[in-house]
Amino acid sequence: MPLDTSIYPLALLRLDGRRWNELRRIHAQVSVQAAADGSSYLEMGNTRVICVVLGPAEGKDKGQRGAREGEAKVGVEIAVAGFSGMERRRRVGNKRTSEMQHCLSTAFSSLLFTHLYPHSTISISIHILSQDGSLLAACLNAATLALIDAGIPMSDYLTACTVASSASSSSSDTATSDPLLDLNGLEEQELPFLTIGAVGEKVSVLMLETRVRMERVEGMLAVGVEGCKRVRAILDGVVRTYEKKFG
Amino acid sequence: MPISILPPAVQVPIHDDAAAEDSDIEMSDDENDFAPTSKKSSHNIVTPGETITTDPQWMRGHGTYIPPSSTTIISTVAGTLHKTNKLLSVQPLRARYNPEIGDLVIGRIVSVQTKKWSVDIAGPMLASLPLSAINLPGGILRRRTAVDELNIRTFFSEGDLLVAEVQSLHSDGSASLHTRSLKYGKLRNGMFTALSGAGGGILSRRGGIVRSRRQVFTLQTASGEISVILGVNGYIFVSKHTEGKEGKETSITKLEESVSETLYSSQNDELDPGILKEIARVSTLIKGLVACGTKVDEDMIVRVYETAVDMEAEQVSMGEKLIDTAGGPKGVVQSVLARLQGGS
Repeated sequence: MPLDTSIYPLALLRLDGRRWNELRRIHAQVSVQAAADGSSYLEMGNTRVICVVLGPAEGKDKGQRGAREGEAKVGVEIAVAGFSGMERRRRVGNKRTSEMQHCLSTAFSSLLFTHLYPHSTISISIHILSQDGSLLAACLNAATLALIDAGIPMSDYLTACTVASSASSSSSDTATSDPLLDLNGLEEQELPFLTIGAVGEKVSVLMLETRVRMERVEGMLAVGVEGCKRVRAILDGVVRTYEKKFG
Repeated sequence: MPISILPPAVQVPIHDDAAAEDSDIEMSDDENDFAPTSKKSSHNIVTPGETITTDPQWMRGHGTYIPPSSTTIISTVAGTLHKTNKLLSVQPLRARYNPEIGDLVIGRIVSVQTKKWSVDIAGPMLASLPLSAINLPGGILRRRTAVDELNIRTFFSEGDLLVAEVQSLHSDGSASLHTRSLKYGKLRNGMFTALSGAGGGILSRRGGIVRSRRQVFTLQTASGEISVILGVNGYIFVSKHTEGKEGKETSITKLEESVSETLYSSQNDELDPGILKEIARVSTLIKGLVACGTKVDEDMIVRVYETAVDMEAEQVSMGEKLIDTAGGPKGVVQSVLARLQGGS
């Protein structure tokens, strides 16, 4: 029972009552862990993530494998809580988390000014407490906040969101479509979607795991970049309120 | 599977709640009370990616960058903007400690190598303490021999705490330490506390350890003197004061007598419960001061400590609860700070 054919074209309201271009509620906090160098807690709707940054510090392996000469290594660990999904899962570490770890590691290696910290390691640990769609986007946003809290220089915020493509409400032409911003878990299961992470105007992360028509991608990207800008404004507000309190 | 359209959830402004119940007003008050010279910094707060200026006359300093083929200076960290003549730099709010020559730091030995120790000083890399940069027991001045290298663990072994000074920096930013002064050396008879992010905005921040003030001092308590060492790197050591360790300046000729055999002892002395309690109290208060975002220096610690002792005495005699112990170190310090403002 796909939702894009049944309900959405009638009222133009999605399952949770949002319109196509509305984000879910984003709530974030920084410096939630006193012992860490930087930490953050982020909610995007019902997706909840804790991120902790340690470093730059001397890494465990002296060989600096995986890092370029004269640059810090960015290590990412993602732990998915057994209770985070709809069904309790005993064995959660899988290919999907290691792909996300790799994605975050490459994204932040190019974003952070790693050349300032040669021979050291920046380790990002992410704990996923609750999953309801846009998981990679939530991880990217939480990691950005935690890295800012850790005082590690970066060129700009890296903010992310998801965009789906649903069948057009106005015409029966399959080439045109309505993009939907910031998906929840149910929408993610039923619609083709991509995760987009942007640094300013530039796209730095793009993850598309489902099949989607070529013609639809451009519209999805445009909506995604716009969504990332709005996420950036929200996260910037979070950092500023924190600074006002403690600056 | 039934699909129902739910009404949009009301946006709960959790932020504003947290901000309201927290001590915003109190904090601005204590700035006026305790740091009258520090100017209001909330005007020039910047966040990463924010354009600071497009004027090519400014030079970029720490915490900023200029994208290729442009003259725009952009911030790379979240913090306060500083202008030094034509130099723009951004001091991050929180950051890991970055060593500088002359810093007094507290470190922990991580590993022992043939001619040096590796020391954790909470920086981006481990610092090194060469065997030639320590005082030998008895104060003998001579070349370090192969025998000293074999006995390297008799001076410092893994896990030992020490106070040292940054002697030099290598090209990659890692530090080299020395303990060639009677003020420096192994730490014992006390309690270690690590504060994260305190190595950050030392110049701008209200909170954090103030560099270049007196960082080693003694505190008079009811059960004896205790000495407090504030490392610039955010490591703090509070211990029982031992006579002759600092304060008494010894000339280089008398070094021999004063550097006693106990210098490298790892054995703690027997401490009486009274002084242990005071050590724990000072340590907790310092933690609370940092959590409150207040600056940490000798004057502040002495004032907060004395008020806390008075309040506890009143609490015992009056039987009413004055100190909020439920909120942890932060709660305790907040109630003490409230009293300080009320009294002054």
